[in-house]
Amino acid sequence: MKLSIIAPLYNEEDSVKALYESITGAVKPLGYDYEILFVDDGSKDNTFEIAKSLSQQDEHLIIIKFRRNYGQTPAMVAGIDNASGDVLITMDGDLQNDPRDIAELLTKINEGYDIVVGWRHKRKDKLITRKIPSKIANWLIGKVTGVPIKDNGCSLKCYRANIIKNVPLYSEMHRFIPAMASITGAKIAEIKVRHHERQFGESKYGLSRIYKVLLDLLTIKTITTFASRPLLWFSILAIPPFIVSVVAFGISVWNLYSGSNDMLLSLAGTGLLFAGLVIILLMSGVVCELIYKTGNLKHKSLAFLTTNITNSKN
Amino acid sequence: MGKELVSIIVPVTERFDNVTELFQEYKNGLLNIENPTEFIYVLDGDFPEVFSELVKLQETGETIKIVKLAKWFGESIALTAGVEVAAGELILTLPAYYQVKAEHLGKMFESLEGNDMVICRRWPRSDSLFSRVQTRVFHRILKFIDGYLFRDLGCGVRLFKKVVMDEISVYGDQHRFLPILALRQGFKVLEINIPQSEKEKGTRIYGAGVYLRRLIDILSIFFLVKFTKKPLRFFGLIGSATFILGGALLLFLAIERLFYGVPLGDRPLLLLGALLFVLGIQVFATGLIGELIIFTHAKELKEYTIEEIV
Repeated sequence: MKLSIIAPLYNEEDSVKALYESITGAVKPLGYDYEILFVDDGSKDNTFEIAKSLSQQDEHLIIIKFRRNYGQTPAMVAGIDNASGDVLITMDGDLQNDPRDIAELLTKINEGYDIVVGWRHKRKDKLITRKIPSKIANWLIGKVTGVPIKDNGCSLKCYRANIIKNVPLYSEMHRFIPAMASITGAKIAEIKVRHHERQFGESKYGLSRIYKVLLDLLTIKTITTFASRPLLWFSILAIPPFIVSVVAFGISVWNLYSGSNDMLLSLAGTGLLFAGLVIILLMSGVVCELIYKTGNLKHKSLAFLTTNITNSKN
Repeated sequence: MGKELVSIIVPVTERFDNVTELFQEYKNGLLNIENPTEFIYVLDGDFPEVFSELVKLQETGETIKIVKLAKWFGESIALTAGVEVAAGELILTLPAYYQVKAEHLGKMFESLEGNDMVICRRWPRSDSLFSRVQTRVFHRILKFIDGYLFRDLGCGVRLFKKVVMDEISVYGDQHRFLPILALRQGFKVLEINIPQSEKEKGTRIYGAGVYLRRLIDILSIFFLVKFTKKPLRFFGLIGSATFILGGALLLFLAIERLFYGVPLGDRPLLLLGALLFVLGIQVFATGLIGELIIFTHAKELKEYTIEEIV
């Protein structure tokens, strides 16, 4: 088994050396083959130069340099894409996670879990601006996605490579990796991990833009529930407007023949509009089926990643 | 400064000036740079006069590669085709008509140090006031909508490393926005001033369609830069707003009908409410389709560009 430890770095010139040393110190005694991937997310300071000089002395260290700052999700995705290990571990680049917890994450992986996430149960951050919003967000994410994790924001996570490499990740989805991974049916465990105060610099990635999280959450919920059977979902969505359409048009026609000789034009128009909506929704469903068929994300192959096939011995 | 080969690409589309004269001017303008050069003319469709003149130039011993596209594809595709056959690590695009004083082209090579792309602004300008105002207005709108500070994207003189074109694909009218797309991919872009050629004269007034197209270009760049990876955010916002507005109208009408006995069936407001309601759902559904495209192709669409791995 080979481990890949992935850490995105953004303007971390003070902590990069300490991070490298603490990871090496924690991983080497475990006895596995390993590699460390630092993803330099377009840092403006000397992060890359320092990391590069470190990598020249240690072949385990690989540095990926971005052309510009893309954000945490692309940085993690780049690390995941370029990792060659069987088990991937992601962590923060600012020393707030403790590499000594990696051993415990691996124990869980060896027990048969596909994803192990860290829970910073004694979080060392500001209460009002960081901890409370994140509590609410985590509760909401758990409710909506059905993956009840107490701490989605913790970067210290551990994955089997074949699962995480096949999960679609884009935009700002690093917070929702467990939820996204749940479409594969992955078994997820959560363990308590240590959390340190920031030693250097300012916090760069914050839970600052809550509305974005909410929108992303809505997107993920919609996309994960509907992606594999779009026509079915669009058809279900089309039922209420269909009823509205029939009722509205029916009343208006009934009114015409029931003596008043006066058609309710607005109501008839409303009926037609909703009828149009029904047709458009059904067609959207067909288009989505087409996209899904031609796309390269197949739930069938995702299912096989986690399927357990047992042959009877005799 | 390195001695890399520079491929000079001249895309020939609807607008072109005397080929031989311009070629000589460019050639003389580039005499003082140290890099070896190759000229590539890309004919975007059938230009018999240009072709025969180029062949004549070839016969006099000039090394010119002529790439002739079978039909009109547009300048973006012509440019891409030129880059495809270019052997150099550096690409210099030059317009097929007079835009800048060729003797100042060396300045661009000096400015390339530390940058990935050098574009030029025709300044000081010598053409008509109207053309200048036109350029100004266009870039003001661009700055307002997209927030980019370029001042002359209409100038076709651009020097860049070949990797830039390897990572960006342009189509339609997007060649104009190449610097923006490059900047977005994380390349360093520098704009320098080069005096405008006196031979670029005449007030060009385009049809209304052209101006409309420019505006749509700006908007499409805005969409491309901001929302390609999150279509549901864009459509979802518009869709929900419309949906809520329509829903509120319908609710208001329903309350009036149920509690105040106002007859509902003939009210025009009902039609408006229903229309907005339906439209909202449709816009949202469109966003969902977009999101599904991204979702199912997320593994192919790289969101990042790697400069190097060590």
